[in-house]
Amino acid sequence: MSPCADAAAPASSSAPTLAPLIAAQLNYLLSHSKLPFKVWFPSIPSLPRLTLPLPVSRRSLAGDFVYNALYPKVAPDVVFGPDDEGFQPLVDYAEAGNGDKSCLAHWDCRDPGGLLALVEELRELYIEYQKRRVGEVDDARLAFELSTVLSKEGIEVCMVPPTDRPDEVKFAVPLLDMDYAKLVQGCPWRSPQKIHLQVIFPISRRVNTVPSAPRLKLMSTPELKSLFSVEDVKLPPWLNGMCLAEYLPSLEENLKVLIVEASASIGSRRRFIEALALPFGRPLEADPIFCRRATVLCISGVFTFLVCNKMPETSILSGFSVHFAIPLQFPKQQPVLILQSSQHCNVEGIPIMSPPINDYPWSPRWDVTEMVERIYDFLTDECQNFKKFCSDAITQQK
Amino acid sequence: MATDPTTPPVGAPVLRYSLPPVRLPPEDILFCVDVDVEARAEMKAAAAAASSGSTSSSQPAGGARVGTRPPVRRMDAVKQAMLLFIHGKLAMCPDHRFAFAALGETVSMVKKDFSSDASSAIEAIHSISASESRYVTADLTQLFKIAHQEGRRAELQGRLLRVVLIYCRSSTKPQHHWPTKEKNFTLDIIYLHDKTGPDNCPQKVYDVLVDALEHVSQYEGYILESSQGLARVLFRHTCILLSHPLQRCIQDDIDFPKQVAKKTVAAEASQKEDGTPVSSQLSVV
Repeated sequence: MSPCADAAAPASSSAPTLAPLIAAQLNYLLSHSKLPFKVWFPSIPSLPRLTLPLPVSRRSLAGDFVYNALYPKVAPDVVFGPDDEGFQPLVDYAEAGNGDKSCLAHWDCRDPGGLLALVEELRELYIEYQKRRVGEVDDARLAFELSTVLSKEGIEVCMVPPTDRPDEVKFAVPLLDMDYAKLVQGCPWRSPQKIHLQVIFPISRRVNTVPSAPRLKLMSTPELKSLFSVEDVKLPPWLNGMCLAEYLPSLEENLKVLIVEASASIGSRRRFIEALALPFGRPLEADPIFCRRATVLCISGVFTFLVCNKMPETSILSGFSVHFAIPLQFPKQQPVLILQSSQHCNVEGIPIMSPPINDYPWSPRWDVTEMVERIYDFLTDECQNFKKFCSDAITQQK
Repeated sequence: MATDPTTPPVGAPVLRYSLPPVRLPPEDILFCVDVDVEARAEMKAAAAAASSGSTSSSQPAGGARVGTRPPVRRMDAVKQAMLLFIHGKLAMCPDHRFAFAALGETVSMVKKDFSSDASSAIEAIHSISASESRYVTADLTQLFKIAHQEGRRAELQGRLLRVVLIYCRSSTKPQHHWPTKEKNFTLDIIYLHDKTGPDNCPQKVYDVLVDALEHVSQYEGYILESSQGLARVLFRHTCILLSHPLQRCIQDDIDFPKQVAKKTVAAEASQKEDGTPVSSQLSVV
């Protein structure tokens, strides 16, 4: 979960001398903004400091929002870091002659939404500021690329700070305007999820050279990872002389297919978990939304038949749980099993668990009934190995 | 709830397990451990093997004590069972949380803050010890009051409250003066007792426990009992209680744990021996 849930606490509990008007604005900001703010209180407790991040371009616009302790009704000053010395939004307003557009021009300390409005305004202005800076770069290829994507809703571009790598420009191109939450029944996400392609172009002021390929990376908002992992996507290659206008459509087509598969996988995982009940009995607990995990309780024993036609004897039946971790790419990838003993524990009293097991027989083409039966068969042997594993672990502790 | 609560007719198959896409709240689980002197009763010798881990297939006849190991008492096995439960629950979902209370004449809190931190749970469990004297009463009123308050708080936090009561007295019927109220917590009970004899009344105690459970429990609570004095039976009961109340079937329909074995006649015979669901009467042993 983003820091804002944790950061919301200090405003009410650990900053006793925070003026009520300021506290009201801080709380409003943290409860209404979806951006992951960091809030902390330097030595003077009544002056909260906010770091305003730009999560898409992965840069933080570090703005210190400084309230004046003696005049809490006055709007905060905002101080930016050294990389952003060129960002002077009030100067820009003045030059454009529309200074009264800023919310600073009509600051109402009693309005709890004041801080949020200021933050959003600065964020917008900063995005525009970076667009202008990038637009000023003298690189024909870059200018062309910029022109093809600038109209996209949610596009962000920025100069890569000179302290990192010189002469690069970063684009964060939004992809696939989709409501991913609709693909997940009972979806718990708190905010809309997005996928971006991060493109880093080297700046080349030389003419008549073949422009080198940009560095490409897919990024997504964090909650989307419970449905679909952008890290697992193999990006199509960037061919020589390509441009974004050519690259993006096939990438988006690719992604659409993968996301549909990811959504279908939830249904497959759900049916797999439901099928577990047949050989294993009702699971103890299973994740009902993303269907990534389920646990069943089993017992096993070894039978020895006595020679003289007496009743078969059983050894003590061992109880153990089987935890299933079902991957996003199920059924292509098989579930990982971990066995947990109910009768063997280490010196601290912690029940012994097996290492993760994912090398049992598997085929994505089996139907779920066959999948669970095969796992059951595998476990009839594996639980004996596990019992031995537990006994060995105990013996080694003595 | 995943299944229809009405009991199907005898012989009909249990309704199929289904997993509908409804949010599953993480649990806040309050353990309430009976600390009456009866918690000091000894478990059977096989239990000593359980805590050190070896479950060999050569059992000494008559359950004689192994070597000079000190006897395992009910309280020791109960503590181990709670550790087993906590680690089992956290392995399924790291968001479940635990708190601890002790039951003497009435309830006292051992650790009132719910937490998912295993080491603080371990500390709290180790701090519980059984009394050396018998308590005259076992009043559950305060327990239900605390549970009701915590149940309200849990609901506001999107969590589910459960109480797991571990009771050890064979003659003392618990009592409560809890009015009928909105039910906002689930109650599970593990009842460890002596075999029925002329000087005790575990069946009566069991019936009172069942009534209490039905009186307060919001979702299907399970009551599991044993007089066998075997730790492995206690551990198995504990593992059954790992089940999340919102994903349970009614107790009569519990169909786990199942035996994982090559299917043979002997396997099915043994299934009946150890896997019988608990009925409303105490088991004969």
